[in-house]
Amino acid sequence: MRQLGLGLAVAAAGLAMALQTARADEELPIGVIAAQSGSFVSAGNTIVGAANLAAQQINDAGGIKVGDKTYKIKLYIRDNRTDVNVSIAAARELVNDIGVKAIWGTETHDFSVSMAKITGPAKVLQFSGNSSLGAVLDDKAVADDGWLHYAFQSEPQEWQRSGSTAKGVLSLLTPQLKSPPKHSVVFVGNDATGQYLSSHYVKALEAEGQKVDLVRYPPDTTDFSPLLTRIKGMKPDIVHFWYNGDSTLTAFPQALKLGVAPSYFLFGVDPGIYQERSLKADVPVTLSCVPVCWGSSPFPEVKQYFDKYFGLGAAKGPQSSVSLLYYDYFFWYAKALETVGKIDDPDAVVAELLKSDYKGVVSPVPLVFNKHHQVTFATEVCMVQPNTSDQFKCAVEQPPAAPPPGDNGG
Amino acid sequence: MDILLQQLVNSLSVASVTILIGIGITLIFGLAGIVNFAHGEFLMVGGMATWFMVGAGMNFFLALVFAGLLVGALGFAAERCLFRFTLNRPMNGFIMSIGLSVILQHAVIRVFNEFQKSIADPVGQVWTIGGVDIIAMRAIVVAITAVIVAITYFGISRSRYGMALRASVSDRDTAELMGIPVRRYVTGVFIYGSLLAGIGGALMISLFPITPFTGSVIIIRGFAVSLIGGLGNVGGAVVGGLVLGLVDGLSAGYGYPEWTDAYSLVVMILILVLRPQGLLGGTLGPKAS
Repeated sequence: MRQLGLGLAVAAAGLAMALQTARADEELPIGVIAAQSGSFVSAGNTIVGAANLAAQQINDAGGIKVGDKTYKIKLYIRDNRTDVNVSIAAARELVNDIGVKAIWGTETHDFSVSMAKITGPAKVLQFSGNSSLGAVLDDKAVADDGWLHYAFQSEPQEWQRSGSTAKGVLSLLTPQLKSPPKHSVVFVGNDATGQYLSSHYVKALEAEGQKVDLVRYPPDTTDFSPLLTRIKGMKPDIVHFWYNGDSTLTAFPQALKLGVAPSYFLFGVDPGIYQERSLKADVPVTLSCVPVCWGSSPFPEVKQYFDKYFGLGAAKGPQSSVSLLYYDYFFWYAKALETVGKIDDPDAVVAELLKSDYKGVVSPVPLVFNKHHQVTFATEVCMVQPNTSDQFKCAVEQPPAAPPPGDNGG
Repeated sequence: MDILLQQLVNSLSVASVTILIGIGITLIFGLAGIVNFAHGEFLMVGGMATWFMVGAGMNFFLALVFAGLLVGALGFAAERCLFRFTLNRPMNGFIMSIGLSVILQHAVIRVFNEFQKSIADPVGQVWTIGGVDIIAMRAIVVAITAVIVAITYFGISRSRYGMALRASVSDRDTAELMGIPVRRYVTGVFIYGSLLAGIGGALMISLFPITPFTGSVIIIRGFAVSLIGGLGNVGGAVVGGLVLGLVDGLSAGYGYPEWTDAYSLVVMILILVLRPQGLLGGTLGPKAS
């Protein structure tokens, strides 16, 4: 009987301790809206992968200490099925029913803007990695009463990325060619993102002294040979495949077989994929990644990040590096919450994010949000040695200080 | 001139895979009366199977045969388990096939992943003839397509099976009274059309990478080809494929390149308005009974 009493007392004490621990670790609900099905799944899965890794690391390190409480991140992940209406419904559920404090996502400008119309009025922070948000993030939109006051763009503005990419590509290719390149053809998918991105990239190339022709192809094209034959007839020095990595990986081998140009640039194709596909060209080829390359990064932090990211089971693909448009911001947001000392004061968190910086994986220079809630960081551009699949020379190019002539920066 | 010749050669190779999928659709839609919108996903499964087998060390041409048989078996299962129950209600079958296409896409993502798959060019040669670059594998794809077209054409127009099949389409009840096992023939057509999709997928991945979503893009062209040529008409599918290939090649080369898809679909609309039965004529497609 005494033994039973002792056992009950020990059990009660254990239960009390467990309850106390549970009370000490409160839940910080964070939403993730990303395509886990549908045609954007390649990009969507990277957002989920980054969120899972960041949440796991923050929780394993003890959580977020806000005032006298410790919060563990609880992720609420919703599949938007590559559908804007599902994205809106998911945002409504996360904001109204679950009460998340912030949302990460999603893949495209249109979806993110639609979500912001729900997160904004509810004062829920939103981190979206769409460079095209620059078109709407202006003084009025991000003002205290603006509809994008709680939205943050976690990818640099497009004129910055285009500027650093153009400079990096030309500086790597010029020494490899018989004469300095003068004529570039930008080959891009004809959708809203392609039109937006290429408009900046064309200006950036022109600012570097290139004569530029723009050739747009219908999205989902698989046989590029007629279009590439047309480009061959233009006799370009460089063909720039811009922006969809999957389309580029379809078109580029066809271009090599048809001998379209004496040099190429492949936007959004990671050296890791180039190597995995055993691609090989007898002419110089440059590559860039969004935002940094997992296949050949000069930074040890990036290598460590991708080891952990792929270690969690994420697939290696052309868009895997997109995960780095989302990962760092979990830590930055956590740091802001700790500084503010409250989780229910989104205005103070926004103010703290705007005045603080964060040294993340994506950039060796601390990340800073500008007054329009946009970050700036450099672009990594690599060159493949001709006739190899695994010999890369990479350089990190800083963005220009101002948009080129004719580019309004939006 | 070199560029023009190159564009004509391009057009021929653009047409080949489209013709293969078009023939499959024209047989299944025009002769069996089943609107299978998942036919594009059957092609995608064939491509994925080829990628997997080539990755496992199998010769490409053996993998092509394997892909054809695998997708033929998939077609058999789909017809027996699903489409058989919708033969009298084609619209039900159509909606069901849309569901099947989404299921197949996500089954492939689940088994492999969402990323693009490709194989090394099985031949890896480019022939330059008179300033025109001919990619050897594309020439082989054109040749294989030509052989399949010939076999299918003679099978439908000259064999006993083909005659019985055409009789079933003309008057199903009378054909059944004459002892033709119409249901079994429908199953046969479905399997054969699916087998062609499997081969089409294998040939496609020998030329271009594919994703789990490739099928939903190519199916539109497949239906366009079969309607332009005339439903159920194998020769029509060939003509339809060539017309679309030529329009694609020349419009990409000399028109507004971003409009390439639109040009070929405008041609399809014009042909269907002017010749509703298609260029070479065909059946009227599935009828609700």
